[in-house]
Amino acid sequence: MSGISLQDISKRYSGSVLAVDDIDLEIESGEFVTLVGPSGCGKTTTLRTIAGFEKPTAGTVHIGGKDVTDAPPYERNTGMVFQDFALFPHLTVHENVAYGMEADGGYTDEEIDARVAEMLELVELPGTGDRKPDQLSGGQQQRIALARALAPKPDALLLDEPLASLDKKLREQMQVELRRIQQEVGITTVFVTHNQEEALTMSDRLAVMNEGKFEQVGPPGDVYNEPETRFVADFIGTANIFDGDVTQTEDGYVSVDCGDVEVESTATRETAVGDDVSVVARPERFNFQSSTDDDRDENVFTGEVTFRRHLGSSVEYRIETAEGREVVVVRPSGLDEHEPGEQVTVSVDADNCRVVST
Amino acid sequence: MATETSTSDGGESGRAGLKQNAKYYILSYPLAWLVFVFLAPLGMLFMFSFWVHVPGTGYTAGFTLDNYARFFTSSLYVQQLWVTVELALVTAVVSLLLGYPLAYYLARIDRPWLRNVLLITIISSLWITYVIRAYAWQVILASRGILSSLGVATGILGSHQSFYPGYWGLVVGMVYVFLPFMVLSLYSSIRNLDGELLEASKNLGAGPVRTFRRVTLPLTKNGIASGTALVFILALGAYVLPRLLGTPNQRTLPVLIEQQIMSESNYPFGAAMSVLLIVVMLVFLWALIRITNVSAANIGGAEGVTGEDETSTTSGPGALSGLWSRLGGVVAATGLSRVYGSVASAVSDRVEAVDSDTRESVIGTSFRVYVAAVMLFIAAPLGIIVAVSFTPEEFLTFPPGGFSTRWYVEFFTDPAWVRSLVNSLTIAAAAALLSTSIGGILAFTLDRFDYKFGSLIGTFGVLPILVPPVIIAVAFLVFFLQIGLTGTRTGIIVAHGIFYAPLPFILITQGLSELNRTYEEAAMNLGASPVRTIRTITYPLLRANVVSGALFAFILSLNEYIIAWLLSLFLVKTIPIQIFNQLRYSYPPTIAAASTVFILLTVVVMTAINRLSGGIWE
Ligand SMILES: Nc1ncnc2c1ncn2[C@@H]1O[C@H](COP(=O)(O)OP(=O)(O)O)[C@@H](O)[C@H]1O
Ligand SMILES: [Mg+2]
Repeated sequence: MSGISLQDISKRYSGSVLAVDDIDLEIESGEFVTLVGPSGCGKTTTLRTIAGFEKPTAGTVHIGGKDVTDAPPYERNTGMVFQDFALFPHLTVHENVAYGMEADGGYTDEEIDARVAEMLELVELPGTGDRKPDQLSGGQQQRIALARALAPKPDALLLDEPLASLDKKLREQMQVELRRIQQEVGITTVFVTHNQEEALTMSDRLAVMNEGKFEQVGPPGDVYNEPETRFVADFIGTANIFDGDVTQTEDGYVSVDCGDVEVESTATRETAVGDDVSVVARPERFNFQSSTDDDRDENVFTGEVTFRRHLGSSVEYRIETAEGREVVVVRPSGLDEHEPGEQVTVSVDADNCRVVST
Repeated sequence: MATETSTSDGGESGRAGLKQNAKYYILSYPLAWLVFVFLAPLGMLFMFSFWVHVPGTGYTAGFTLDNYARFFTSSLYVQQLWVTVELALVTAVVSLLLGYPLAYYLARIDRPWLRNVLLITIISSLWITYVIRAYAWQVILASRGILSSLGVATGILGSHQSFYPGYWGLVVGMVYVFLPFMVLSLYSSIRNLDGELLEASKNLGAGPVRTFRRVTLPLTKNGIASGTALVFILALGAYVLPRLLGTPNQRTLPVLIEQQIMSESNYPFGAAMSVLLIVVMLVFLWALIRITNVSAANIGGAEGVTGEDETSTTSGPGALSGLWSRLGGVVAATGLSRVYGSVASAVSDRVEAVDSDTRESVIGTSFRVYVAAVMLFIAAPLGIIVAVSFTPEEFLTFPPGGFSTRWYVEFFTDPAWVRSLVNSLTIAAAAALLSTSIGGILAFTLDRFDYKFGSLIGTFGVLPILVPPVIIAVAFLVFFLQIGLTGTRTGIIVAHGIFYAPLPFILITQGLSELNRTYEEAAMNLGASPVRTIRTITYPLLRANVVSGALFAFILSLNEYIIAWLLSLFLVKTIPIQIFNQLRYSYPPTIAAASTVFILLTVVVMTAINRLSGGIWE
């Protein structure tokens, strides 16, 4: 098994679009890394550069320590799962899964048959070898595409939005399944998605991409709880974001004037008075306040509940302040219920807020 | 679309994994054929038209304008030029009037099986050699032929009478032969029409006649224009029909050209007339485009509706259909649609008085009767050939006085017929392979690589089929005279191979444009080299298109007469040549048997193509 290393990769298409802008990424052997970001941010281009379908304008690609920047796709030994699966329609499932080993030429027929059977077992579709792809359901095609990619024992598994065309239920099931298989095989994996939930649930690490650059790379918990940029905070999960400029810094705390409110936050980054920054507070960090325990004056918002929805284990509220700002609050279910139309006061600890770059 | 990327990067990024120069090596194969074996003969034809005819020995190189002068100073030749143009125009107009209702019916019926049967009938007859189809009309129009016999039997005619050779017999034959092209052009254009538009019009209270005149007709102008132009050009180059159904007064330019070559051995004069025929065609096309540009403004938005779909193919066919759709306004200019419009409104005035239910049903019924009659006109002649092939008698009579297969026995045992059949099949098979190799490789290279003059080369790839066959024939004849290929099967194979290369080219280009490139990427990702990818993925996915292209070329070569005839120099006989020759002297029913075998062969191959492509006609 082997890792992947991208160094200073840029890709400019023959027009003028700089699709990937000088990115670096070290992926360890066996690691599951997700590239996540909005559509058009350069995820596919990055993945295709690893697979060898695109030649980077600058930078190098190493797979398993070997420089493959100039190697054609068929000499890279990666296994790719395409968004529309791309199962060869004129070949049976068996022939599809065997294709890579046959192209390799180093396997006997018995080895190929055994490996195909093993792969079909792995994806829990034994006995489907004689079918044609169009005789399979979407979820089954997905598994076969995975089996086909894994059969020739690639150094890395590359997946480009493989679950996007599945319905929600199947998608969630496949997320678990995919992760199980990946861990069972122990293969280095690069997964591409624009779905942040998917990225959070599946990955060892995720790389949040925006306009061809990495905004932040790290484990899901870190990225969610400690976003470094406004974009990451906004894109990953739900966030209350307060844009303003720094009025005061003192003892590891920062005060930010947002026009309608003054917000206090832990100083999670170096700032000076006058800097434009954003303060981020996740909705579940907020508390409701009864008018009696009016013990605090920082980060307090009073307003009307405009919207409420139950999320199962929690309840989401949207509260509109007199100044017209909307605050999203998520509370454990059954703890403190408030009705739409009710006047409430919520607050969040400065320790639960973060200062990020705008 | 992300998958398009590396086409623009050329070989560099390695989609096809081929080195930079490879794209020129591969292109050189089809290009060499097109330049050296298609352009060169045409160039030589042009040159020949200035050479000097030497009675007895042939010709010598030189420069003279005598050949052209001879044409224009003879009132006979100039008059025949007018006859040629007039005949083509009449054929086009009559085909349009007959074809529109049929095409409309085909596009609108909701019984798929019936549509398929009718389309297969129309399309099958399209490929059958003009020789057999002219022969069918001889059988119908001759004295003691079907029409005459029917007339006498019903007492309409006092005595037997021949309806051919003659002007109207010829027009009937020409319309019969070219009507399918018109119907198919119109059909695809009417099919593209949005059914909801018609519904909307009906909703707004427009009757069927009004809907037709205000909505259907304007929106199908493109089909009308391209069908008319196509039939006009085909009719202009027709040789067999005027030769077999016309009198000496209807010797069209192609007939005169053949005569100069085969009877007078006056190659320079034949070449000069060929050049003139091309000039007439170009002038016509130029005029059409000019008129179109003028009237394009009037047509406005309606143009786009049908034009879009046609031009969506790649450079080559796109350029062609672009040309066709630019002819869009011509019809408005020539007033054809006005003819239709006034007929329609006359009908509508006449029936206005009656209540609307009766009106609809009267229109509906007469429409169906009309369609059935046109369909009969298309299908019956070949049916008659099949029927008379089973006559037990020595001469063709109608109705046949019994049933016998003796003429089939005759056909399959007569060495002359069998030799022609073998020749025909050999030439067609080899020509199909050649066409497919030229057209296929050209399609592949233009799809996969970027060339400076890519779209120009693509247009070049469809050019051969646009040249009238009689001109191809003369061009190749003068070319082969220089390199000693006249009178050989190889010569005919090469000429057919080039002439029909556009069919595989168009079909394979279309297949490639519909091919999902991700399959190829998936194969390469799994470690398949470019060659392996093409062999195991690209080709199998394109096979239906490749084989259909080859079969089209096969069937066309099989049925081709004039090129084979001129290049044979009396030495090689194919089935169409053999039938034609026999028609000059006598009418043994063997001809009918041979024709039937040929028709059957054609229908079988066409059905195979249809199966293969999963309903290519749709
Ligand atoms: N073949 C191409 N030619 C030109 N621009 C392209 C091509 N492919 C992608 N792009 C552009 O590059 C940018 C990144 O695209 P892509 O990598 O497909 O993004 P993602 O997969 O994140 O949606 C987009 O702006 C896109 O329009
Ligand atoms: Mg993408």
